[in-house]
Amino acid sequence: MARLELSGLSKTYGAVTTVRDVSLDVPDGEFLVLLGPSGCGKTTTLRMVAGFVDPSAGRVTLGGEDITHRPPWRRNTGMVFQNYALFPHMSVAENVAFGLEMRKVPKPEREQRALAALGLVRLSQYAARLPRQLSGGQQQRVALARALAIRPDVLLLDEPLSNLDAKLREEVRVEIRQLQKQLGLTAVMVTHDQEEALTMADRLVVMAEGAIRQVGSQQDLYERPADRFVAGFVGRSTFLQGRVAEPGVFQTEGGLRLACDPAARSGPAVMAVRPEAIHLHPGAEDNSLSGTVEFTSYLGPVLELHVRLSPTERVVLHMPNRGGTPAAGLGESVTIGWPRAAGMVFSEAA
Amino acid sequence: MSLGTQGHGTAAGLVTPATIFVVLTLLVPLALLFRYSLNAFVPGQFMVDALTLENYVKFFTDPFYTAVLWRTFRIALLVTVICLFVGFPLAYVLARTRSRYKNLLLIGVVLPLFVGNAVRAAGWMVAFGAKGVVNASLMGLGVIATPLDIMFTETAVIIGITAVNLPFMVLSLQSVIEGIDRSVEEAAFNLGAPPWRMIGRVLVPLAAPGIVAGCILTFILGMNAYATPVLIGGPRFQTMGPLVYGQFVEQNNWPFGGAIAFILMTATLLLTMASSLLLRRRRVAD
Ligand SMILES: Nc1ncnc2c1ncn2[C@@H]1O[C@H](COP(=O)(O)OP(=O)(O)OP(=O)(O)O)[C@@H](O)[C@H]1O
Ligand SMILES: [Mg+2]
Repeated sequence: MARLELSGLSKTYGAVTTVRDVSLDVPDGEFLVLLGPSGCGKTTTLRMVAGFVDPSAGRVTLGGEDITHRPPWRRNTGMVFQNYALFPHMSVAENVAFGLEMRKVPKPEREQRALAALGLVRLSQYAARLPRQLSGGQQQRVALARALAIRPDVLLLDEPLSNLDAKLREEVRVEIRQLQKQLGLTAVMVTHDQEEALTMADRLVVMAEGAIRQVGSQQDLYERPADRFVAGFVGRSTFLQGRVAEPGVFQTEGGLRLACDPAARSGPAVMAVRPEAIHLHPGAEDNSLSGTVEFTSYLGPVLELHVRLSPTERVVLHMPNRGGTPAAGLGESVTIGWPRAAGMVFSEAA
Repeated sequence: MSLGTQGHGTAAGLVTPATIFVVLTLLVPLALLFRYSLNAFVPGQFMVDALTLENYVKFFTDPFYTAVLWRTFRIALLVTVICLFVGFPLAYVLARTRSRYKNLLLIGVVLPLFVGNAVRAAGWMVAFGAKGVVNASLMGLGVIATPLDIMFTETAVIIGITAVNLPFMVLSLQSVIEGIDRSVEEAAFNLGAPPWRMIGRVLVPLAAPGIVAGCILTFILGMNAYATPVLIGGPRFQTMGPLVYGQFVEQNNWPFGGAIAFILMTATLLLTMASSLLLRRRRVAD
């Protein structure tokens, strides 16, 4: 349990920089999630904290101590691996006690602490089993207990749920989050699953191509994405290419004129609109456009419509499902619109 | 059900040729050899039919022969230990490397096996003989005044057999280490194990099947080495393999040769079995 600080952390393999100038301050007890597409350097960042990758530049500070060049076995980080990485030749109890054994905790105490850690993940009754005699979800919970048993300064999780099926994933997700809160642990989790990231995090970090794109709460990322990449990566958006023609007016390539934030810089830009911000039959909205429904899809709580606005432009909108007959059928002409504030404009001027 | 019996029939059909081959080439000669070892040897008359333990008694009561057995055992054991300690790091690197040249490295390890024993021994002579490269350089540098006796010593034989056996050890270990997940090692480090504790507590236990297989293979090869002790040890250096051959070919004493062959085989078998039992016992006790 400690504050974790990364400053200017970079990693270069030969000519390729996989992590670029990453600086983060994770306060004590925070659950931070690193989110980003495959290959963006999330794992590399986490492994620099654990000590498996030596940073090319920058510093890692844990609990006020500089651990940048400390070997992994002298860092007191608790890592949970994607593939569990349990010791196959040791019982569940021995696995969980391993870290305490390395810390020379006397046998009776370490057995008791291992059992307590297993109790946290509700697996005490499996203490004597071998890892291969457990299901995937149970194995990952053992791995969690093993990491918790050493009372780590920071819990590191690298896609801990990606090998589990959907239902289990939800269970273990809740379990990890509850334990982290209950024990007041500082935790950093890596994932490329945005739902997982949004449901678990106190704060999120979106990475792309080795660099941080945005740090913030779920609401920050969703409602105020820093750039086009974040707008597309966190939640869905329809992107309309065009330019800010005059203050407060966005002109799409297909010729639509849309109201936008008057502060948007003029010049080439892209507008992103969330599907649920677009309404069918707009009232006194700032934008009102007519189009044709080209595609519908029933998603349960919402209905998804794809509406063509111009030969080259189509928007995706979600409307709440209120039952009964759908408000708009395939091929129908409709009027749609969204408020001025819902059109997020990102300047693309070089 | 009919499928099951059919499967059995096919399996039996598949192993029959191999079984016949083993029986004809291995078991029959061995049985004959054992029978000969109970015969008597009368100089001039070659082999006389008998049922006697005389040959075995002769071996175990003559200190010359027991010394040869002991020396052979000592050499095989030392070679095995050296192969294990040299081979393990090598196998580890081979198993873990992500280099594009991994296959080249592997070929490098088995390369010694491409060279016949005679050629290799000739190489050793060039390197270690009284006028060889090593002595010449050391004397040239003034490190030593008289050439070191490296050839025709037990040390030379041990080095020679080690060189031959090392690839077998490395290959046995490498295949097992490759099957051990790298993240398990990292988990150990993460939980506070420095490298030597990780090796002792995680890597070695998980590699145990490879270690046992490699050691057994190396030990058997060491006990039965023939060409290397003859070529590098010289004419007066005796181990069990050359001893058997000498009795058969030079002395024409088939009964005694047979007895020595059986003693060698039994000793190898017993020692191998004893060590694997011991290992298994220790692993169960853990
Ligand atoms: N040892 C290495 N040598 C060279 N390049 C590497 C090495 N390790 C990672 N990389 C590269 O660094 C980049 C980032 O890898 P990293 O594993 O951190 O990605 P990630 O964000 O965790 O992706 P994923 O979601 O697929 O796990 C990748 O392009 C990868 O190929
Ligand atoms: Mg990764």
